[in-house]
Amino acid sequence: MIVAWIKKDKLRCVVSYVLLIKNFMIKKILIFNILVFALFSCENNGERDMQKPVIEIISPQSCVELQRGESFTFRAQFSDNVELGSYNIEIHHNFDHHSHSTDNVECELDEKKTPVKAWADNWNYTIPKGQKTFEANNEIPIPADIDAGDYHFMVRLTDKSGWQQLAAVSVKIILSDIHF
Amino acid sequence: MNRIKRGNILLFIVLTFFVQAFAQNKSDTIVSLDEIVVEGNSRRAILMKSPQNVVSVGQAFLKQNFAGSLMQSLEKIPGVQAMSIGSGQSKPAIRGLGFNRMLVAENGVKHEGQQWGDDHGLEIDRFALDNVEIIKGAGTLHYGSDAISGVINLKSSYIPQKNFEGEINLFGRTNNESTGLSARMGGRRNGFWYRANLTLTDYADYKVPADSIQYYSYYIKLKNRRLRNTAGKEHNGGLHLGYLSDKFLTTLYLSDVYTKSGFFADAHGLEVRLSEINYDRSRRDIDLPRHTVNHFKVMNHTSYRIDNLTVEGDFAFQNNFRQEFSEPVSHGYMPTPPNALERQYNKNTFTANLCAKFLLAEKHHIHAGFNGEHQNNRRGGWGFIIPDFRTTALGAFVFDKWEISENLIVSGGVRFDYILTEIDEYRDWYETYKIRSEKLKRNFNSITYALGVNYDLNNWNFKTNFGKSFRAPIPKELGSDGVNYHIFRYEKGNTGLQPEESYQLDAGVNWHNEKLDIQLEPFVNFFPNYIYLNPTSGYYEGLQMYYYTQTHVFRWGFEFNVNYKIISQLELNMSGDYLYARQLSGDKQGYTLPFSPPASATFGVKYSPQTKWAGKDGYVSMDFRAVAPQNEIVPPENATAGYGLLNAAAGCTFSIGARHALPLRITLQANNLLNRRYYDHTSFYRLIDVPEAGRNFSIMLGFNF
Repeated sequence: MIVAWIKKDKLRCVVSYVLLIKNFMIKKILIFNILVFALFSCENNGERDMQKPVIEIISPQSCVELQRGESFTFRAQFSDNVELGSYNIEIHHNFDHHSHSTDNVECELDEKKTPVKAWADNWNYTIPKGQKTFEANNEIPIPADIDAGDYHFMVRLTDKSGWQQLAAVSVKIILSDIHF
Repeated sequence: MNRIKRGNILLFIVLTFFVQAFAQNKSDTIVSLDEIVVEGNSRRAILMKSPQNVVSVGQAFLKQNFAGSLMQSLEKIPGVQAMSIGSGQSKPAIRGLGFNRMLVAENGVKHEGQQWGDDHGLEIDRFALDNVEIIKGAGTLHYGSDAISGVINLKSSYIPQKNFEGEINLFGRTNNESTGLSARMGGRRNGFWYRANLTLTDYADYKVPADSIQYYSYYIKLKNRRLRNTAGKEHNGGLHLGYLSDKFLTTLYLSDVYTKSGFFADAHGLEVRLSEINYDRSRRDIDLPRHTVNHFKVMNHTSYRIDNLTVEGDFAFQNNFRQEFSEPVSHGYMPTPPNALERQYNKNTFTANLCAKFLLAEKHHIHAGFNGEHQNNRRGGWGFIIPDFRTTALGAFVFDKWEISENLIVSGGVRFDYILTEIDEYRDWYETYKIRSEKLKRNFNSITYALGVNYDLNNWNFKTNFGKSFRAPIPKELGSDGVNYHIFRYEKGNTGLQPEESYQLDAGVNWHNEKLDIQLEPFVNFFPNYIYLNPTSGYYEGLQMYYYTQTHVFRWGFEFNVNYKIISQLELNMSGDYLYARQLSGDKQGYTLPFSPPASATFGVKYSPQTKWAGKDGYVSMDFRAVAPQNEIVPPENATAGYGLLNAAAGCTFSIGARHALPLRITLQANNLLNRRYYDHTSFYRLIDVPEAGRNFSIMLGFNF
């Protein structure tokens, strides 16, 4: 019954295991040895994807100041050894100075504060099928009525096999309506 | 390819050792007992007891291998793994399967905590145990759902022999500056007896051989190489009251295990955190994030014997109360929560087991029984992972052990289980008010069976067991539909999941004489519907989407143990394990299963001089544990490099006081002597690249009175 479920190359493994059990009974240690070798060689390392995708953020850069009510461009170079999956970009406040930073740059943060109307949003994007590289280019509008301050801009990227890579950028959103 | 070759070479060395050992052993001296098997029975009787591979260890083993947690001590047994959560707690696993795929029982009653959780350790007072029995392979027949890869049965059935007796142990470990006290006392008068035990432990943040932790190119600097906020403490107490006559035995067990421990402060789950809390102020304080767990148990075991019929009953109530606290932080659509109580679980479990054992036609040992269990789990806190649920499980089994001859035993049995699971609805407590778990009622039926043979021939002993086991899907797998912020993922349950079934063929081959004992335990295992949390390439609500699905899984592996007594004072030991797992269908076809332990081998030498100064039980031992790299991974795991660890231990008993009346036992241990920086593939902190504990010395002083 078990055999029915096991596909082609696995059959060999199971057959050799049955032989192995049989051979325990007749105490043929050397045959056991050979069969264990055969089992080890059942390993099929062929097509499994074992690599995470790669994110290279072009913009926004760390510690950049963005103006409220305006748009900014998210640009990044994605790559994977097999096939890219999809990506998500997310923004949330860092008024409490927690951190997700994935680069070593430390930005100068404003005083800690309690959010009134913090910006929290995220966007899912798909990548056309079959791509090993992709350049993301998305226009992100910044709402005009949100709290200014320190924010985290998170990028998450998957490949087709489900490996995920993360990257984060700290940005500062400033008021656009300051006039001197 | 390289890895396969290396595996072959390792195997070749192992097998060559076997062959040479065979060739060398001819002479007869005293009876050798496998170090791990310490039951006072002959080797043969132990081997013939069950068609399954059973390892049994006593208090002496637990003391000689004293570690941060019970499972870290048991990890010395090939095929047993500890999934560590910091230095003081760990989860059990047998042959790479943990969580709800193995079962922990205390005195035969299933231990019910929050086994599904990544960071919920095993709530047990190891000092209250007399004996730990590990059954490898399908254990469903006697224990019901979950006992797929095996059973760890913790026993505390010792009955005091004197009017008053007791034991005090004091212990300390250098790495996490742990100190502790454990006291046991008991007494017996006529048929009545009592036992009481108390254990107190307190430990500081543990030390790793690293100045910083590099995780996603984020540098977390460590002060004095300590992992911030991993301190903890444990307060346990227990009381046994019993009565024994020649036909009747009853014991009432009461116990409470309380643990409070911190989680590494700079990352909670996978999420890197900065905090205003001054963690470096003290290495002994337990700040946020942390959890407290209290496990209360009351159990009764009663047995009554009439001629060759024994009737036994076990009745138990358990309450598992866990709270996890972390700094309230807004996440996605969730605003900043009002307090630090992130998760709370309050689970009550009632168990009733009844069974009868009798001898039929002088050769058939019949064991038939009924198990009933009811659980009620209620949640709290602002972080949602599992909904409230209730489950009722009923099972009945019959098992026959047929002694065909002195050398040949055939055993087999069949079991039926019915499990009803009711899940409550859960909605977000904030703006979205989204339903995260639908109201659901499911029932699961399962028929399981086992068939085994024991055969003994001169120095050889063979056993084989084929068994089907199962587990009912748990509420997390059925009902979850939400974000797990700690692991940065969106988890989607599947209300249509079928009970997970496993078919396993186990074998045990033993060859022993007075000097040499060789044990080989291979197994092959197939799941037609393994419940797997599959990471996809898609995003949902901002996080990677994972969904529960069922796949075909094939596994095989083996453990071995070779004990060679060169002379009566000097013993060599070699043990190891290997595991192979493949998903044969579904999205991750060709990949392994999560948390697959890498192959490992331990080489040990033990010298027991048996001289006047060292006493009867004095010993010095050293072992080297080699662990292969684990490159067999599945998203989101990281490959783990191989490593070697050097450990040493010594112990002896002195007699002090007037007329040497007070025996004082000293046990010393040194772990990771070379202070190697290494990663344990199955550790909770592996995903955030936190290395395992550095060099550690531990001491235990014990007085018996």
